[in-house]
Amino acid sequence: MNTFLSFILKRLGVTLLVLFAATYFMYVLTAYSGDPLEDLRTSTARNKEELIARRVELLNLDVNPFLRYFIWLGGVLKLFIGQFDLGKNLNGQEVTDLVGAAISSTLQLVTTATFIAITIGITIGILTALRQYSRFDYSVTLLAFIFFSLPVFWVAILLKQYLAIGFNDFLQNPNIGWPALLAIGIVTGFFWAGIIQGNRKKLLIVFAIAFTGSIALIQTLVWINWFNNPGIGMFAGAVIGSGLALLITAISVGLENKRARNLALIQVAIGLANWIPFNMVSLFVSPILLVLIFIALTLIGWAIGYYFGGEDKHAVARTAALAGFAMTAVVSLDRFMQAWKPYSESSFINGRPFATVGSQTPNLVSSFWVQGVDSFTHLLLPTLALLLIGFAGYTRYARASMLEIMNQDFIRTARAKGLNERTVVMRHAFRNSLIPMTTLVAFDFAGIVGGAVITETVFGWSGMGSLFVESLKRVDLNPVMGFFLVTSIVAVVFNLIADIVYSLLDPRIRVS
Amino acid sequence: MASKKPKPTLGVKIMKFKRTSMVVAAVAAVTTALSGCATGASDVVAGSTISVAWNQSFYSANSSTSDGNATANANILYLANSGFNYYDSEPKLIKNEQFGTYEKVSDSPLTIKYTVKPGVTWSDDTAVDAADMMLAWAANSCNFNNVEPTYDENTGEITNQDELDAGVFFDSVACGGDLSQITQTPTISDDGRSLTLVYDKPVVDWELNFGIGVSAHVTVQQAFKDEALSAADAKKKLLDAIAANDSAVLAPIATAWSTAYDFMDMPEDTSLLVSNGAYVVTDLVKDQYVTLTARKGYTWGPSPKIEKITVRIIADPLAAVTALANGEVDIISPQATADIVTALEASDVVSKGITFASTPDSTYEHIDLTFNNKGPFDAATYGGDEAKALAVRQAFLKTIPRQDIVDKLIKPINANANVVDSQTTLPGAAGYDDIVAANGASEYAAVDIAGAKALLAQAGVSKVDVKWLYGCSNTRRANTFALIQESAKKAGFNVINKCDENWGSLLGSGTYDAVEFAWQMTSLGVSGSISTFQTGNGNNLNGYSNAKVDAAYESIQTEMDPAKQIALKLDAEKELWADAYGVTIFQFPGITAWNTNKVDGVVPAPLAPMFFWNFWEWTAKGNAVQG
Repeated sequence: MNTFLSFILKRLGVTLLVLFAATYFMYVLTAYSGDPLEDLRTSTARNKEELIARRVELLNLDVNPFLRYFIWLGGVLKLFIGQFDLGKNLNGQEVTDLVGAAISSTLQLVTTATFIAITIGITIGILTALRQYSRFDYSVTLLAFIFFSLPVFWVAILLKQYLAIGFNDFLQNPNIGWPALLAIGIVTGFFWAGIIQGNRKKLLIVFAIAFTGSIALIQTLVWINWFNNPGIGMFAGAVIGSGLALLITAISVGLENKRARNLALIQVAIGLANWIPFNMVSLFVSPILLVLIFIALTLIGWAIGYYFGGEDKHAVARTAALAGFAMTAVVSLDRFMQAWKPYSESSFINGRPFATVGSQTPNLVSSFWVQGVDSFTHLLLPTLALLLIGFAGYTRYARASMLEIMNQDFIRTARAKGLNERTVVMRHAFRNSLIPMTTLVAFDFAGIVGGAVITETVFGWSGMGSLFVESLKRVDLNPVMGFFLVTSIVAVVFNLIADIVYSLLDPRIRVS
Repeated sequence: MASKKPKPTLGVKIMKFKRTSMVVAAVAAVTTALSGCATGASDVVAGSTISVAWNQSFYSANSSTSDGNATANANILYLANSGFNYYDSEPKLIKNEQFGTYEKVSDSPLTIKYTVKPGVTWSDDTAVDAADMMLAWAANSCNFNNVEPTYDENTGEITNQDELDAGVFFDSVACGGDLSQITQTPTISDDGRSLTLVYDKPVVDWELNFGIGVSAHVTVQQAFKDEALSAADAKKKLLDAIAANDSAVLAPIATAWSTAYDFMDMPEDTSLLVSNGAYVVTDLVKDQYVTLTARKGYTWGPSPKIEKITVRIIADPLAAVTALANGEVDIISPQATADIVTALEASDVVSKGITFASTPDSTYEHIDLTFNNKGPFDAATYGGDEAKALAVRQAFLKTIPRQDIVDKLIKPINANANVVDSQTTLPGAAGYDDIVAANGASEYAAVDIAGAKALLAQAGVSKVDVKWLYGCSNTRRANTFALIQESAKKAGFNVINKCDENWGSLLGSGTYDAVEFAWQMTSLGVSGSISTFQTGNGNNLNGYSNAKVDAAYESIQTEMDPAKQIALKLDAEKELWADAYGVTIFQFPGITAWNTNKVDGVVPAPLAPMFFWNFWEWTAKGNAVQG
């Protein structure tokens, strides 16, 4: 443990040096990038000189940047006497306040996208590794490279044009022409035919089913005006819930475990039984209450699984708990969808629910569910833009990592022992393949706080990225440094965390 | 599509409850207001809303402080507060005599009497009166300021905080300006609604100087929070302190005036948002939006038609266009570029009822030659031969392709753009046409290479090097430079690229022979150009000196007759153009776009508050029922 402690201290020491050097360079470079008095110099105000003198005094512009840095550093070091001070911007606002607000806004935008990107990316990456050199693998590889190379501003503009403006136009008079329907059918058909394994005959059947199925589904949804008044309903809820329960069982313990399967399905029944009561009390639901409901139903699932689990009650309890969670998600999703129509038809929205800018509809004061829908319509586009580009990378890393593990000797041993494929993949391969991914995820989390400059600009979010860019444009030194300080600290700290976690996860690596 | 009421969820009920209480409050306000003044019918359409985009968040309800002085604040405050006058789209100064009047009582000394109409109230029903004007004078004249903050060289910390707290420091953006010329404490009329200002010396732009900013009573109440002063007591406290020059009382008032109004989210104490105009700020979310709601009982000005105006913050110009196309906002004024024009002309945007107007801005681009750097345009270079230097200057200006620059760089954004021909007056403003007809700018209307060569030959100068300064990252200026360089080369000028990111700090340094930049006009005041063209003044960055120009500007400072002001400006301009001072090229293009399916009556304007100027003429279409 001693070596561990000294490792951390050593790293922290180096970190401070790195931070000092980086902030110093950044400070001087930014200071010389332009003129913070430019707007005043071209002013025709009578008291222009006085205004310039005041700004010079406020920001110490008469001090050479090489030395002015230490004035700024002095404010930062006052952290130790509890007066952390990052200075003021050109408008005289405290930078600490600006950075604080920007961080929360950025986290709101980027966390969801990163989380989904990691989940989907790793899932797809592992699936492609398991089906190496299949049609599915090739299709995903192709898509991953396409998405990876897309410029984010372009994706953002396309999303705005077609998903927001285009889909809102569609909602005014939901009607899909046959060419569009055929296109959707063909794309869906290729998608499923790409995933499902098999010979040419099976392929054609899958294609045909997916083609007709998707067209029929979309056309039905149009006929019942589902897009303007979405919902799941108890029947579809039962079908979706059962599907999820079976999927969870299959991954968690395997479908041959009938006890686990039945207990998971019982969670669906519990969810259905709660359907009407949940809808009745849903008006009083707050975010905290909803979290509590999720926890409660998950725990109920776990308890039921534990009591009736028999031999391997832990695995069964886990399965039932996950199924309980999934079913609660279905029930809440249905409730959110019910809020869609009142939301969309309110005069704030005027039937154009998908937003292109900002994080909320001004002046909208309504129930938790309607507010939730409002957040969704504002987050959807930026999240998709970040997601499409982010997940492609994870897919590749996860695939490579999984392939490497699957070729290890211990996997062969596990198979030789007679373990079924699910256990080999989920218990032995999957877990080990995640070790290199931790490093990647830690780095990416550090990147999150830096903000997504382009995405934030294009979608009108005032997060860290836009704070940085806007301040840099005005040569507003203090906010730029506030941004830089926070992001660089987060970056080095997460680097450290990645190293430590790596050594904890992989017994072969030791810190020294 | 007809709007239906949403299901009455709990949140909506709460909203209704809120609104009911607001209506009760508003009714109370109306009753009080009506008892005091003549009835004026309000044309506000209940439930009508409109959403406008602006590129920066509101952050201060006092736009007279040096920190709060920004258009992002001023636009919102223009909707909320009335003034004695405002600029229309022409631009022309219009008086708002329903709010208050001002008259020049005497020319010597210059004495102006401002009177607020009876019945004009703040949104908390306190009357707007001379106390509010007195605070505006006390703060913006900066005459009571007896301390300035000093900063530690090493830490940047304010070192005299105790002194600052004890002393008076109104942190006004107007310090050192015209209002500082009023050192005599103004007098209040017997009815308490008039204030008479006496200037120590004549100030030509007096009409633009004075207005009511924040309210006196709230400022004093903020300064003495624990005393729970009534509005009347607060005003009295202020007036007594000013009469007695009581620093102990004025100090906290000055601090409150300078800092209490700075907030980015809705303040808990909504008294900070009291307004004396058509709207009152009812919601404020940092970096998201400001919502203003029409005041009941507002009669001192044209009645607005829209109940709620929401100003959303969208910094990115293209994002503003898509938000407009998607119906999220109804009026935008993005930074004008050719890309934005293309986006607004796209058929799918036009089909949504979006229309736009390109209007010139009040900022104009110009080229100045340097007279005092021993360069090609300085007589000292030719042994003091002014005629020689003049010929070189004239030759150089003759090569500048002004029309070509406007055609290539500005017309793609504003098809109606014209070359600006006046150094002192904005196109459209009174006198512009008369001035350009006679000021001699026509000498440089077209590129005249032969003429330039002849002038150079006559001066006996060949192969002239011209060091040219501009901001490197400014694409438009880089393009202008390229066009000029190419054209000037034909006459034998070698224009050298001396672009610099810190060009602003190089102004006046003599390190360049010619510079291209823009002056921002914030008013039609005539005194703005005094500083630029008079010998040795602050904005005279090229060492220009001409006795006739100096004399013209000396007279204009005391000349109150607009016609004679124009004549004097023309005198100065004739000299400027004859001396080949430099040339003006174009006004910055501006764009205002709006959704004709949702709003009517939008008219862009060149001067602040830009398209907001006629908000009372805006009408909302198609969203009369609030959900």
